[in-house]
Amino acid sequence: MIYDIRHVTTYSYSSQVSFARCSLRLKPLSDAGQRLISHSVDIKPRPASRASRVDFFGTDTECILIEVPHRLLRIDSRSRVDVSRKAPARDGGSPGWESVREAAFDSSSLSAGAPIGYVFASPLAPIQEAVTRYAVQSFPPGRGILAGAVDLMHRVRTEFKYDAKATVISTPLQEVFEKRHGVCQDFAHVMIAGLRGLGLPAAYVSGYLRTYPPPGQPRLQGADATHAWVSVWCGNETGWIGFDPTNDILVEQDHIVLAVGRDFSDVSPVDGVIVGSRKQKLAVAVDVLPVE
Amino acid sequence: MAGDAAQGSKIRPRDRKVAQWTRDYVRLPGIPDEFIGADGAPRGVWSRFLEAFATLSPADVERRFGSADRHLREAGVTYRAPGESTDRAWSLSHVPLLIDDVEWQQISAGIAQRATLLERVLHDLYGEGRLVAEGAVPAAAIAGSAEYLRAVCGVPPPGGRYLYLYAADIGRGPDGRWWVLGDRTQAPSGAGYALENRLVLSRAFTDLYKSMNVERVAPFFEAFRDALRASADRDEPRIGLLTPGTFSETYFEHATLARYLGFLLVEGDDLAVQGDRVHIRTVAGLKRLDVLLRRVDSNSLDPLELDASSQLGVPGLIDVLRKNGVVIANMPGSGVIEARALLGFLPNLSRRLLGEDLKMPHIATWWCGQNAAREEVLARLDDFAIEGAYGGSVPGFPGNGPVLAADLSAADRDRLRTAIGNRGIDYVGQELVRLSTTPVWDNGKLAPRPFVLRVFAAATANGWTIMPGGFCRIAERLDSRAVSMGQGASAADVWVVSDKAVSTASLLPAVDTVRIRRIAGWVPSRAADNLFWLGRYLERAESTLRLVRALSVPQRDPGKGPLHQSIDRIQRLLITWGATSLGARSQPAKIAIDALQGEEDFGSALSLVRAAQRTATSLRERLSPDAWQVITQMSDRLAQKVDDEDGVVSAAELTLQELASFAGLAQENMNRAAGWRFLKMGRRVERAINTTRFARQFAQDDASGEDLDILLTLGDCQITYRSRYLLAPLLAPVRDLVVLDPYNPRSVAFQVQALNDHIGSLPALKEDGLIERPQRLAVALQAMLTTAEASALDAKSLFALEQDLLTLADAIGSHYFPHGASAMRPEKLTGLA
Repeated sequence: MIYDIRHVTTYSYSSQVSFARCSLRLKPLSDAGQRLISHSVDIKPRPASRASRVDFFGTDTECILIEVPHRLLRIDSRSRVDVSRKAPARDGGSPGWESVREAAFDSSSLSAGAPIGYVFASPLAPIQEAVTRYAVQSFPPGRGILAGAVDLMHRVRTEFKYDAKATVISTPLQEVFEKRHGVCQDFAHVMIAGLRGLGLPAAYVSGYLRTYPPPGQPRLQGADATHAWVSVWCGNETGWIGFDPTNDILVEQDHIVLAVGRDFSDVSPVDGVIVGSRKQKLAVAVDVLPVE
Repeated sequence: MAGDAAQGSKIRPRDRKVAQWTRDYVRLPGIPDEFIGADGAPRGVWSRFLEAFATLSPADVERRFGSADRHLREAGVTYRAPGESTDRAWSLSHVPLLIDDVEWQQISAGIAQRATLLERVLHDLYGEGRLVAEGAVPAAAIAGSAEYLRAVCGVPPPGGRYLYLYAADIGRGPDGRWWVLGDRTQAPSGAGYALENRLVLSRAFTDLYKSMNVERVAPFFEAFRDALRASADRDEPRIGLLTPGTFSETYFEHATLARYLGFLLVEGDDLAVQGDRVHIRTVAGLKRLDVLLRRVDSNSLDPLELDASSQLGVPGLIDVLRKNGVVIANMPGSGVIEARALLGFLPNLSRRLLGEDLKMPHIATWWCGQNAAREEVLARLDDFAIEGAYGGSVPGFPGNGPVLAADLSAADRDRLRTAIGNRGIDYVGQELVRLSTTPVWDNGKLAPRPFVLRVFAAATANGWTIMPGGFCRIAERLDSRAVSMGQGASAADVWVVSDKAVSTASLLPAVDTVRIRRIAGWVPSRAADNLFWLGRYLERAESTLRLVRALSVPQRDPGKGPLHQSIDRIQRLLITWGATSLGARSQPAKIAIDALQGEEDFGSALSLVRAAQRTATSLRERLSPDAWQVITQMSDRLAQKVDDEDGVVSAAELTLQELASFAGLAQENMNRAAGWRFLKMGRRVERAINTTRFARQFAQDDASGEDLDILLTLGDCQITYRSRYLLAPLLAPVRDLVVLDPYNPRSVAFQVQALNDHIGSLPALKEDGLIERPQRLAVALQAMLTTAEASALDAKSLFALEQDLLTLADAIGSHYFPHGASAMRPEKLTGLA
């Protein structure tokens, strides 16, 4: 499936901003499940410098510097991606979760794809006893890693309430967990924290999701959003599998991966510091259009 | 023969004292001791020390201890326990820890070898990665550390190395050998305190210190400074010491080190990234910084790439590192090697990388990330101290220090077992060891206390140099397990003692390699801002004290008439300045006490001096110890409660004398490079403003003789007036003297002229040749004051003058320190939902 994706980020400031230094992680990954065909980012006002590098996690990161006074920053990213990903069957067999844990602990690689980087607490996904106790119910002794993770994903989907107004990016995991509500990134962080509490490797994935308009209605422009889900390491043979706890589905053709990291802080699509504004307003518009 | 025998049996008083101290010293059973060796006899160095010590009379000893304590207090040696908001006074044990130089050679060799090894391991971990790939180091033991900085993986460290300063905590174990208890590679603290301890103790016991042949520590610091200098890629590098700020628990040490080593003390806000370099914001614009000695943890260094919530770092700093634009010591990410999880692998790594065994053992440690070790720890849980594998508290058991399973409730023991079972990678079990004891002075006797010694190593061109001595922390209680400064411990100086006279040769570079310079570089904007405000606070305190004194001079009895009116004017001024919250109808005596020492009143002399003290805290590395001492004395004196007019007057007068002595110290002792000018400019501008306000109150068209008399007193020009005019105070001459007379050092005109001179000597920020705003305002003011006539100085024109002065003060601020404390900080973009 080929998608055309447009992702427009607009910051408007209450007073003039004299300086901005930003990191953009907007270029979709090319990996086993998807291929990037084309990509461009248009920035207003025009940056004094733009420089790209590949970060530790393999994400193409663009550093931009804006030195002209501005009250509006608009970052317009367009990508064409070919996705051809197959997920295993939900009820397929897999190695016992304890053996996956042992294999992860014995890892002899620190590379971005190695499981050991994803079993420890990270800034936005701390390990907490209550969350671990919640997760362990999906992992009775000897259960397959796939079955356990599917069960945990299903429980998060059914026991947590989706509420776009309940949380912001700085809402701590503990609050999300206690109040059982949040948005896609909160659900991803909860699932990740639970898995890591048990010693299981879990990564955070940022990206886009193809949405289907209600039957008989046209697609609304800009109505899509950035999305987030979880990637779980299922042993040396199976490797990483995507779990979307917001929708209770395994990740396949409808998901387009932007970046993978330990949590949101590693993959934040637009990040930066500015000098000069008292208030800032953020608007994000995303369109995911299937081309064929 | 008989005579000899008699002489032999006669015990000298000195020996009797030593024998008494030795007899009274009760060692802890089963634990080695520094004073008494394994054979039960005092060790050689201690005998020599005590024999010399015994020649001092008890009164002399107490006097010297007292002088050491006083010096620490007056120098303001402080530290702050984690979580506290005020500084604690430093507690120094009066007896040094003694180590003979033969034993020290072994310690040095062990520490130098360990530093060499850790440097090699870091190079591999962040570089090629062979140790992990080949199984010599488990990936989990690295990945678990918050200090494993993915952002610098594969980035060659600018300057060519990771570690510039390394420290190890060591203690003497039950077998009599020295053991490493932990490694400090992130940003080791304590070297500055060690320096201060040495200074204090060697001053208090000069003769004793000299007679003991103690190795000097100064050459170590010189070697360290030279090494940092050599790491930069230009000849005369600018070096900064990056501190988290005055709220850091060890800020005093940062200031001490910066001053001693001649580095700029900087905070993250003082630095800016431009191009591929880091710059420091100075009053002359951005200046390139070459080397950063950091006391800020790695993760806080760059809000853009690392901890986004950090206010301590510099956005873009890591990217500069990537482009080889700045040397950071120690290299960010170096802390990864502090992890206890790694300890067990070091003996093998030493054989593999250095081809030799570790010379100094470390405390036996089982990392529960490996099956065999985990089973061992779970099987004998009570025999271990459980620690976090990567530093910090034990996961699931918040609090400081190790968890001892034997001390836990049954429920907590289960919790610990489950946690280790699930995530063994997070835990280590360490052998429970008890460390040796060393003597402290306790009410005229020697008593044993457990201690930990921190040893420092600096990387130089000739290998690792070890500081002879170190930072010794002594526990107050006899429990020898955990020693932390925050837990009520004291510190001791460490003397490495030689039989022979020590070399006094210094490592100072040969004379012909040093370029003579007179100016130490431009002042950072923040320091200039603080100096400016220090000057303003002190001057404002002076004006307030003059008002208080005028209000309290006892011969005045409040009554009707002009006198009453004058007192009323003083009170109104004090109320407007926020020096008291009392109403204008309150008793003058009460208002005076408030204005002198009101805790709540932001404009009281006490509050102003405290504000000056806080400002001075941020300037510790730029102020002489004498200047700091004067400020501390003022704030202590003003806080002492007074209850009558005599008390008020004498407190005000003594404080005014101290203010004058501070001004004198600054005038006579401060280097005339740009920093001094900002202190002076602060005083000048504030004095000009206050004097104008005095004139507005007391030199109005209808001013009484009493008003004018007070104005002359407030302006400190009674004598000048009387020597010029043999008359009672008259309006026009008084106005002229106080406002316009350019020869009177307290007149407004004199202040403006001085400001003009200072501004003229500062660098211009633009190159267009146009006069810059502060100068433009000052020149205009000076012209106005030069041409004005006293008779025309009515209330309206004085008010306009006051406004112009305030505008000038603001213009100086926004021109020279746009990035100072009051400037806009960079802020984070809000994240995406």
